Amino acid sequence: MALSTTWAFLKRMMRNPYSAIGTVIMILFFGWAIIEGILRYLGPALGFSNAGYLLLPYNPFSFNLSQSLVSPSLSHLFGTDSLGRDLFSRVLYSIPIDAAISVIVVGGGIVVGGVVGLTAGYYGKGVDQVNMRVTDLFLAFPALVLAMVIEYTIGRSILYATISLIVVWWPVYARLFRSEALRIKNMRFVDSAILSGLSRMQVIRRHFVRPALNTIMSYATVDLGNVILTYSILSFLGLGIPPPEPELGSMVSDGLSYFPQNWWWAILPGVVIVLIVVGAALFGDGVRDYLAGE
Amino acid sequence: MSSGIARYIATRAVASIITVLGAVILTFVLTHLLAPNPAHIWAGPHASASEIAAITKEYHLNQPIQIQLYYYIIDLFTFNFGMSPFFKQPVSQLILVYYPRTLILIAIAMFISIIIGIYSGAFAAVRQDKFGDGIVRVAYLLTWSTPPFLVALFFQYLFSYYAGWLPSGQLADPSLKVPPFVTPILPLNAIIFGDWGFLSSYIVHSILPVIALTAISFGIITRITRSSMLETMKLDFIRTQIMKGTKMSKVVYSNAVKNSLIPVVTVISLLFSFLIVGSLVIEEVFSYTGMGYLVTQALYNYDYPTLIGSIFVIALSVILINFVTDVVYAFIDPRIRMGER
Repeated sequence: MALSTTWAFLKRMMRNPYSAIGTVIMILFFGWAIIEGILRYLGPALGFSNAGYLLLPYNPFSFNLSQSLVSPSLSHLFGTDSLGRDLFSRVLYSIPIDAAISVIVVGGGIVVGGVVGLTAGYYGKGVDQVNMRVTDLFLAFPALVLAMVIEYTIGRSILYATISLIVVWWPVYARLFRSEALRIKNMRFVDSAILSGLSRMQVIRRHFVRPALNTIMSYATVDLGNVILTYSILSFLGLGIPPPEPELGSMVSDGLSYFPQNWWWAILPGVVIVLIVVGAALFGDGVRDYLAGE
Repeated sequence: MSSGIARYIATRAVASIITVLGAVILTFVLTHLLAPNPAHIWAGPHASASEIAAITKEYHLNQPIQIQLYYYIIDLFTFNFGMSPFFKQPVSQLILVYYPRTLILIAIAMFISIIIGIYSGAFAAVRQDKFGDGIVRVAYLLTWSTPPFLVALFFQYLFSYYAGWLPSGQLADPSLKVPPFVTPILPLNAIIFGDWGFLSSYIVHSILPVIALTAISFGIITRITRSSMLETMKLDFIRTQIMKGTKMSKVVYSNAVKNSLIPVVTVISLLFSFLIVGSLVIEEVFSYTGMGYLVTQALYNYDYPTLIGSIFVIALSVILINFVTDVVYAFIDPRIRMGER
């Protein structure tokens, strides 16, 4: 059942060239992230300490000063940096982290924003006022600027970066969920659900959370790309994982002082960011059309 | 009618003030409660014990939390953000020097973005689902999806390293002295001192950052204009115009566009937030010494007072712009002030 709907969904997405491109990029991105992620984190637990490097062309951390600043070629697809590390391997190595952050931040945003927005829309009046004032307050800060300061305050690390992003990410979802709740609230089926004796939690879960999630799904898919974009700016500003761990944004900022002579260092990791974000946007549009067609 | 507007402005003003107070409390919670060790973080990582003691005393960190909040609010509203441990200057003075430089870039970029956005949006809407529409949509999808630093690098390469038309970075030619601070507006200072060499160098050096900022932001306007134009083109008065035989270009670019301007007003503050974030990294790429420079330097050098002062001023600007656009919106669209939304 689930498999055949997935198949139907994929076939539908492939019909339109734009959403086909988006789907392929997303499958490659998350597929690679999952494979590499499993190798890296499960490998050492099973006694293969180098499992994370198994599928990479080179070890992303090993220096090779005789091969420093080599321009892109078949042996080094993205060239190498000043320490001779293969940039293509470093890009591949950084992808699972980006994938995990995007899913966790969007998921966290949906959970927090859902609670704030649905209660605001469902209860209305005072609850609505308070919840929406708080939401507006967070929206007064440009998201990246606030995330930057929060992370700076509580400490620089991947975990704190994720938390900071969730803190600035939920307000948009709170607004979306609130307007969904307002739309649903006046529908007849809600009244009949209450009359049929469902408890309040059951009504909220079945008739508010589910339809609202359906509507928000396509926005959330596009949003995966926005998280990756914002996180790349954080890591560009030095607020990502500390070096030597590779990171798309920090690779660009490291390559800045070698631009334009060694252009590949700053440009190619940046192009990968663009591909992922464009892929998420096209995929999200496809999801929207698919859900609208259902 | 006019009392409707007055009441609307008053409620928006109250809401804005509440948001400002909220922003104060939010930064207070962050800096005094969430921070693992407030005195350490204010003083910076290399501070000695006596410096930390001095900071603790200066910021009243050894007193009850409500007293701390009291001093915090007083200080913020008198724009006393403390001394910057890195720049060794009052933070408010730093912001006064650096923020206007970025605001000038943002204002110009915003103006150009709005013009490009409205025309490209109208252009795309008229050719809905045709080739021209496709081109415009691909263009704004790309500018939306590209990190600002990459956009900056692209234009830096194109106009500076490849074509050689524009300088690759800096506020102005580094051999020229920045005119002394008289007003916060740098070009005005240059004019006051008759420093035309600096002024022209400054203008030339500002072109690339403005181009990059415009490139990252016009898509917001294009998208909203396109969708509101699609609505407008279906309205009766437009159809009448078309049927009367008015030239299509006139219908689109003078009648329909005017009606589609209203939604553009609502995204101005979004545009501003977007440009502020963009300027942080774009200025870094161009080594342009504006607000982005101030914030990134504060970040790299553990200069907490500067960081907090900067984001507070940025948040104030966003809230102010929100308020102004709400008021403008109410003047343009009577339905808003009559509470029909």
